[in-house]
Amino acid sequence: MKQLVVGLNGLTLGALYFLVASGFTLIFGLMRTVNLAHGSLYLFGGYLGWSAAERTGNWVVGLAAGALGMGVVGVVVQQGLLRRIQGQDLRESLVTIGLSIVAADLLLAHYGGLTYSFSPPERIHGATDLRIASVIYPTYRLFVLGLAAAVGIGLWLLLNRTRLGIIVRAAIDDRAMVAALGINIQVIFALLFALGSMLAGLAGVAGGSALSLSTGEDQRYLLASLIVVIIGGMGSLEGAAIGALLVGLVEQYGLFYAPYYSATITVALMVAVLAIRPQGLRGRPA
Amino acid sequence: MSARPLQPAVAAGGVVALVLLTFPLYASRFLVLQIGAQSLFLAIVAMSLIFLAGYGGMLSLAQTALSGLAGYAIGIVTVTHDGPLALAVPAALATSTLAAFCFGLVAVRTQGIYFLMITLALGMVAFSFTNQNYTIFNGHTGINGVRPPEVAGVSFANHRPFYYLALGVAAVVYAGLTYLLRSPFGLALQGTRDNPRRMRALGYWVQAHRVAAFSLAGFVAGLGGVLGVWYNGAISPATISVPRIISILVIAVIGGIGYLEGAFLGALAFTLVTNYASSYTDRYNTVIGLSFLLIVLFSPDGLIGLGRQGARLGARLFTGRGPVPARRVLSQAAPGSNVATPEPPDRAVEV
Repeated sequence: MKQLVVGLNGLTLGALYFLVASGFTLIFGLMRTVNLAHGSLYLFGGYLGWSAAERTGNWVVGLAAGALGMGVVGVVVQQGLLRRIQGQDLRESLVTIGLSIVAADLLLAHYGGLTYSFSPPERIHGATDLRIASVIYPTYRLFVLGLAAAVGIGLWLLLNRTRLGIIVRAAIDDRAMVAALGINIQVIFALLFALGSMLAGLAGVAGGSALSLSTGEDQRYLLASLIVVIIGGMGSLEGAAIGALLVGLVEQYGLFYAPYYSATITVALMVAVLAIRPQGLRGRPA
Repeated sequence: MSARPLQPAVAAGGVVALVLLTFPLYASRFLVLQIGAQSLFLAIVAMSLIFLAGYGGMLSLAQTALSGLAGYAIGIVTVTHDGPLALAVPAALATSTLAAFCFGLVAVRTQGIYFLMITLALGMVAFSFTNQNYTIFNGHTGINGVRPPEVAGVSFANHRPFYYLALGVAAVVYAGLTYLLRSPFGLALQGTRDNPRRMRALGYWVQAHRVAAFSLAGFVAGLGGVLGVWYNGAISPATISVPRIISILVIAVIGGIGYLEGAFLGALAFTLVTNYASSYTDRYNTVIGLSFLLIVLFSPDGLIGLGRQGARLGARLFTGRGPVPARRVLSQAAPGSNVATPEPPDRAVEV
């Protein structure tokens, strides 16, 4: 049952991509900011989580540290740099590119070119017998699947069932109107940016534990986020979920059937979507 | 004297040309090759980006990949298949132009920030494809042992001939693009940058103009790539990796993305920093990143913008003439964003 395992790997990878890309797409949907330092947040979050887990010997502390740390970094970046040039989207993305250059260099200076791996708690570490076609699968990867599903549902509830969510959805449609209604839009921006960055940091620890953590991962997850949201549609949460699963599955089956061309197959998927629906599967026409 | 007084711009251009032409005669081999020639071929690739971004409104991050594909074509023809130079160079330029045409067909369906993302994704995919493919691109190792050509007894492996070759190509590209931007095509392209809807209403086929501009920029990037592969003597996926993609963007932005001349200034600044800052600190990438950030935040017109501000100040002090408007490519608000900038007056009519 190799195909089943490949499918599960694809789902896990898709779950990881969703964790990263959901933050990216949320930020874009609300602020029209393409945060090209999102991959750096992933890597920085992962490293920070690793340090915290190493210090305390507790993986959960690492997970929390990675997420919260990146939330703080996100707010600082948004309020300190991006707010000055709000509304100039090209300039905003160039600023985030500049940040990603600096971040990659400083992270390399501090953590070196080594590969780091985590040791998640015993309970989610070993292997699980799925009792389907006698497949035994790493428990941790199933945990990542569950985590992504929980995050996805949580975000959906947040956006659709809370007052904050109503404000955010209204601000996506018309920021000026929401601000005119007496809502401090800057606070909403800061909150959403923190949330998106937290998701990247969380994904850094979760993904670093599923695979490993090293320099260059920032670019890998930035590319994944870009492709996922281009396919799914910028700013759409469901789009990010569909896109992440598609990309994860296509990448893993691609590796299985045509190992040398998996990247090409993924981009072919992106091109096909763009040719038919330039705004992405769940995106709104620009 | 009946002759008109010398225009300052013409005089400055003459001085620059003189310096560029005589520089190899007294400078060291290191300066001529590492600084001079390298700046020139980086500037060629950056010019292709500035042409697209500054005049076509398309901030493309695929230019590095396109130049790399031309470099690969040179390597594949001359090293892998031991083919002649007369075949390699046209093949390389055809490859980058054709690839740009295909990239363009995909990318011009979008605008602004989407365009940036799609071209970045295309560039990153070109990297992973060349990295994974062994049958043609020889994977991670790439193609080594590419030798600069020897034409009519002149070996371009020597530093002076190579510098003059790069200078010649750069000058031709600069003159050609300057001319093109004043032609009806160039003006129409700038029209599509400023107001695609109005251009469409006037009967212009906007997408075709954009694809054509993108293909042409691919050709220019290919020229830079050919020089680059001769300079490096090898080509590998690392040549088109994300840091290199960003380098070209950094060069264009630091120089001034609204002006073709910015490519040269930016490339010179970039090569100077990478060559000299590395002897003072290991963290020269941080230096580059921070300078890039500062430029983006405080002088969106780059070094050219800074120079112009200085010149404006000088002109106002001496002649009392009014200021010249700057070309703000990066600080334009996105279409559809409802923050800050007021709507242009013609919007209401178009909708």
